[in-house]
Amino acid sequence: MGSFELICPAGNPAALRAAVDAGADAVYLGFRDETNARNFPGLNFSRPELAEAIAYAHARSVQVFVAINTYPQAGNLAPWQRAVDDAARLKADAVILADLGLLDYAAKRHPDLRLHLSVQASAANAEAIRLYREAFGVRRVVLPRVLTVPEIARLNAEVDVETEVFVFGGLCPMAEGRCSLSSYATGLSPNKQGVCSPASHVRYEPRGEALASRLGGFTINVFGAGEPAGYPTLCKGRFVPGGGTSSDPAYLFEEPTSLNALALLPELKAAKVCALKIEGRQRGKAYIAAVVGAYRRALDAFERGLPVPALDLEAMVEGGAQTTGAYTRAWR
Amino acid sequence: MAQDKAQEMAPDTRARDVEVQLTRAGLGVARRLGDRAGGLLFDRLLRILEARHPRAFTALGELPDAHLLIDPVDAPAALLLRVGPGLALRVCDRTAEAEATVRGPCARLLDLLEGRIDGDALFFRRELSIEGDTALILALRNTLDGEEMDLFGDVAAAAGPLRHALPVARRNAGRALDLLATARRFAPPPVRWGMAVLERRLTGPRQGA
Repeated sequence: MGSFELICPAGNPAALRAAVDAGADAVYLGFRDETNARNFPGLNFSRPELAEAIAYAHARSVQVFVAINTYPQAGNLAPWQRAVDDAARLKADAVILADLGLLDYAAKRHPDLRLHLSVQASAANAEAIRLYREAFGVRRVVLPRVLTVPEIARLNAEVDVETEVFVFGGLCPMAEGRCSLSSYATGLSPNKQGVCSPASHVRYEPRGEALASRLGGFTINVFGAGEPAGYPTLCKGRFVPGGGTSSDPAYLFEEPTSLNALALLPELKAAKVCALKIEGRQRGKAYIAAVVGAYRRALDAFERGLPVPALDLEAMVEGGAQTTGAYTRAWR
Repeated sequence: MAQDKAQEMAPDTRARDVEVQLTRAGLGVARRLGDRAGGLLFDRLLRILEARHPRAFTALGELPDAHLLIDPVDAPAALLLRVGPGLALRVCDRTAEAEATVRGPCARLLDLLEGRIDGDALFFRRELSIEGDTALILALRNTLDGEEMDLFGDVAAAAGPLRHALPVARRNAGRALDLLATARRFAPPPVRWGMAVLERRLTGPRQGA
């Protein structure tokens, strides 16, 4: 088995250049609309920008994957199908899809286009993965962040498909992007419109030295003076169980913390994982340069059998805290 | 060899210190110039940046008409950025009304403008605070982050011969600062007091502090 591929995020052309220059093997990105799961103001790529991005990356032997990983709405398939057509026309190296109908469309319309299954599809067992492989010719599956490393190893032994796992960045604990919590609070869907905690519904309020974050009119967290802050997502909010008033608010689902699986490189290699993915298409190019560069150095050392340098990325992570997430979660 | 090159390319924090001080002094001067003369200066600055970063300015011009207060908390004044078709930048009180507000140290805001630092990371560390229309702030942040912006480099490039002087000045900023500190230490008291008064005049007291 060859080296790990390092798959890196890019929210805009400058971030793509930062990722390529810092040592990405492939960059994933999306169009500037609801067809991808990071549909935030000022982010993503127009068609001409994608053409430029692909030219820049290919000139440096870096691949470009286009994420079209939200779910087409009833009666409105055109934006998603156009996104697949345009990615193929512009010579993207792969499209990352989640919806069965869109996979079928892409497989039939563009038989030479490489298909990757998005983490949004939440394919977490061999039977599901085999179905995607046999029905649509999916070549790679991005595994949901709910599996332990031994489970990934067992899964890889059973399927003839490349697997890609997240190693760094934000965690999406509520069954990946299929969560409906944000839809409940805002009326806008991560699955359909690509917006988890849409910025138009987020407000931050200073309360003395504390900072309150609100989503769709709900106060979902209050960070004390000097306490590291996190994203305004419901899954990382603090709540009082049962609506009681006696206990202090607590993190019921997940804490503001970021994934960092650097320590698990040997186990992931033994589990026959093909590609390692860094999360953060909504992050700035300084984050991309720092994280991709650090992981590149770590992977190069690992592949040569040298000691893996520690990553000094504490400043970059949500809530100032890092975790190996479900990969090593003892209660599982 | 590679290490030498990395060393050589490492950002010069002393030059950055000078640029931050110049920015704070510039805000103080602009505030004293008043709306008309200060406004002309900022109009010129926007035109220079627009010529260097047309894509970003097109995107900012396409945003809904709104005001964004950019408050460098350690500077003598804040900035009011109007986005949308009437794009404009003006110096203002830090209590000015706006649809959204971004607050942080001057150095951090400059780093953010130039994409040297990640905005989310600053927010996590509570070095940056935001209020009001989060979508507007995000749109501005993401648009600017998509550019390779260098505020002083861009301005110097527009000033013709200065563009050759800037890299030299940046390389020598540390030495110049050391010389200035030495001069200040050994200057006779009246000169020292004069320098202090001048600095205070330029940077001024913090408004709303």
